[in-house]
Amino acid sequence: MDFISLIGLIIILVVDTASSWLRMFAALAVSVVISVSVGIYAATHRKAERMILPIVDILQTLPILAFFPLVIAIIVIPFEGTYLSLGINLAVIFLIITSMIWNIIFGVYESIKTLPQEYSELSKLYGLTRLERLEKIYIPACMPRVVEQSVLSWSIGLFYLVTSEIFSTGSANYTVKIGIGSAIASPIITGNVISYALALVIFILFVVVTRLFFFKPWEEYATRYNKHVEEKTSEIKRPSYVQEMGEFGTKLMKRLGSERLVRIGSRLTRSRKGGRRISGYADAGKDYDELYRLVKYGIIAVIILVAAGVVALRPYLIGYEAMVLQALVFSFARVWLTFAISLSIGIPVCVYLIFLTRHNSKYLMFFQILSSIPATILLPAIANALRGTPAYGEVVALIVFVLSSIWYIIFSTMNVAKTLQPNILEVKNIFGVKGWEAWKKIYFKAIIPGLITGGITAVAAEWNASIVAESFTVGGTIVSHVGMGLGELLDASLAANNLVLMFVALINLTVMIILLNTFVWKRLYRRVSRIYS
Amino acid sequence: MEMVGVEDISYSLGPEANIIDGVSFDAKKDEFVSVIGPSGCGKSTLLRIIAGLVRPTGGKIIYMGKSIQGTSKGISFVFQDFALLPWLTNLENVKLGCSMMEKMGEEEKNKKASIMLDKMGLSGFEHSFPNVLSGGMKQRVGIARALVSDPRVLLMDEPFSSLDELTAETLRSDIVYHLKNKNLPVNSVIMVTHNVEEAVELSDKIVILSKKPSKVVAIKSIKLKRPRDKRSKEFLDMMDFVYATLAK
Repeated sequence: MDFISLIGLIIILVVDTASSWLRMFAALAVSVVISVSVGIYAATHRKAERMILPIVDILQTLPILAFFPLVIAIIVIPFEGTYLSLGINLAVIFLIITSMIWNIIFGVYESIKTLPQEYSELSKLYGLTRLERLEKIYIPACMPRVVEQSVLSWSIGLFYLVTSEIFSTGSANYTVKIGIGSAIASPIITGNVISYALALVIFILFVVVTRLFFFKPWEEYATRYNKHVEEKTSEIKRPSYVQEMGEFGTKLMKRLGSERLVRIGSRLTRSRKGGRRISGYADAGKDYDELYRLVKYGIIAVIILVAAGVVALRPYLIGYEAMVLQALVFSFARVWLTFAISLSIGIPVCVYLIFLTRHNSKYLMFFQILSSIPATILLPAIANALRGTPAYGEVVALIVFVLSSIWYIIFSTMNVAKTLQPNILEVKNIFGVKGWEAWKKIYFKAIIPGLITGGITAVAAEWNASIVAESFTVGGTIVSHVGMGLGELLDASLAANNLVLMFVALINLTVMIILLNTFVWKRLYRRVSRIYS
Repeated sequence: MEMVGVEDISYSLGPEANIIDGVSFDAKKDEFVSVIGPSGCGKSTLLRIIAGLVRPTGGKIIYMGKSIQGTSKGISFVFQDFALLPWLTNLENVKLGCSMMEKMGEEEKNKKASIMLDKMGLSGFEHSFPNVLSGGMKQRVGIARALVSDPRVLLMDEPFSSLDELTAETLRSDIVYHLKNKNLPVNSVIMVTHNVEEAVELSDKIVILSKKPSKVVAIKSIKLKRPRDKRSKEFLDMMDFVYATLAK
């Protein structure tokens, strides 16, 4: 390829990637606004909290990607004609938003719930208006979590962006014309390796630049609202929980600009031996547990009843249901096998990062960048490299599944590790706990809560990824696929335009995920958190 | 006979960030030493240097006549916020203190840990988790853990400051009782505190540090007989002395 066309190619790729990035930023902005509003509202209004949390809980487990064809159909309808590409862009942005908001909402909610009671007492004493409370207490309080969760949401959103853009190329009418998806898709079809490699390099460049020049400064800005003071060496004792609250409180109250408040605030926090702490929705107070469960089970029951009713009315659907259940079993096996693989890689990595190295912030940055690269973008390369090997479709699916889930495990565990007592390493050192004893009694048990919350999200991510992992179609050509599986079924039904089958498959998938979460994961988490709180 | 010698210890985090600037003192056999100083003067860091958890930028620590680096088998530690592992039972937490005793079997470790928990008044709580314990009880587990390995030197980092006053008082008197009756194998204690009354009540010697970068301002011996009357003139005079030195 001559130099001029190389430059031309690079420019096109940069424009493509940049337009995808614009969609991402639009989605992030909207997501942050929605999440902060919903999170603060839920955390400060008890009645709303009891309804919002279970709904958000269920919505976040839905395999969004599976609904993408449906979303396109719905959103795009009013946008026929010249505004079609606007409609498609909105559909993609909407999809990305639905992938980003849930963890930001929970992050905001948790950060507001863990604010000491004194702050609401202060607001009443000094007659702060709602706007003032928002501006001076709630928004600064949730800032660090918003930034932290946005970094994760960004990776998640990128996955959905790339996947939905590539996916859309499968349908001639609904392609996203300028974007990373088409930039990747055409070289796959034409077999242009240089183009593909360049697109990949430019993508990674964009990811790194965004991380360093957008998220890092934002993180540093938000640390002024941090409750914890990170010391350079992990052996120096960090201030106790009480002192930290005090420091945070005094800083906050200096912002409120009143000397009297500062004095009262420091007196209040000094005499308290420990603030009120509610550590999140999974183990929140019993008084709204009843309603929470009622709403959750209510939604599940309604879905099952409606589905059962529909199946009863249309007997031919029973045949579809049988197909779906069969496919589900295969995918189920794949998902859990790859989850086990991800765990066996993730656990040693996490233990190393948390306990055995002091450079974890550098490694974390590296992992964050690595995790931002969606498995979808590597699919063509993986598929190509493995073409011709036995069970090629299965191996590709396995690799994509592992890549989708391992980041959730690592990030969730690392996030939970931040709440570990800083003295743990000191205890280990002073009492000389070594080797297998250290692994058994300290490392492994410490990360269990993180593994569980990571597991929920990791498995959900795998189900989402099954759409592309089990059957990868680009521009109408099937690149790789497994014999039988739910993702495969969804793709096949889309290709055959069999919306009924797709719908049946989606409902089964949704119900299964909700049931698994409620009766397996949440139970596990509740039992564990009683010991760990 | 000197148990622990702190010789000209310095610690800094960077060019302009000197925390400890040449601190020296010692703790003799059967001596209870308190280290007191204003907030942020690095006394907790100093204790961690003695424990071997933090490496000083200058000076050395002498233990039983030899210069040491890193943690030692005979030196144990009690943390300000208890530092119990929430996922281990109380007995298992205490057993952690035996980790360095490789020649001890599991059965023996269990027995020693049980006995220590009993001594601290916590028999019956062996198989429950720390989250059912109050602050005072958690600190008792912490102390049991520190003592189960029969250490010669016990380091305590503001051990009572996370407790309410009543619980702290009870725990203090328990420790005084055990030390007095030689119920515990410990020879020397070095305690960091910011509570002047506590320091005067418990110690044979008080090391008073300046604000950061900290130096030793004074080392005061207390020769009052135990149990000490907190309202006696001698006691109050001693407290006045410490306060006055700290205020300078």
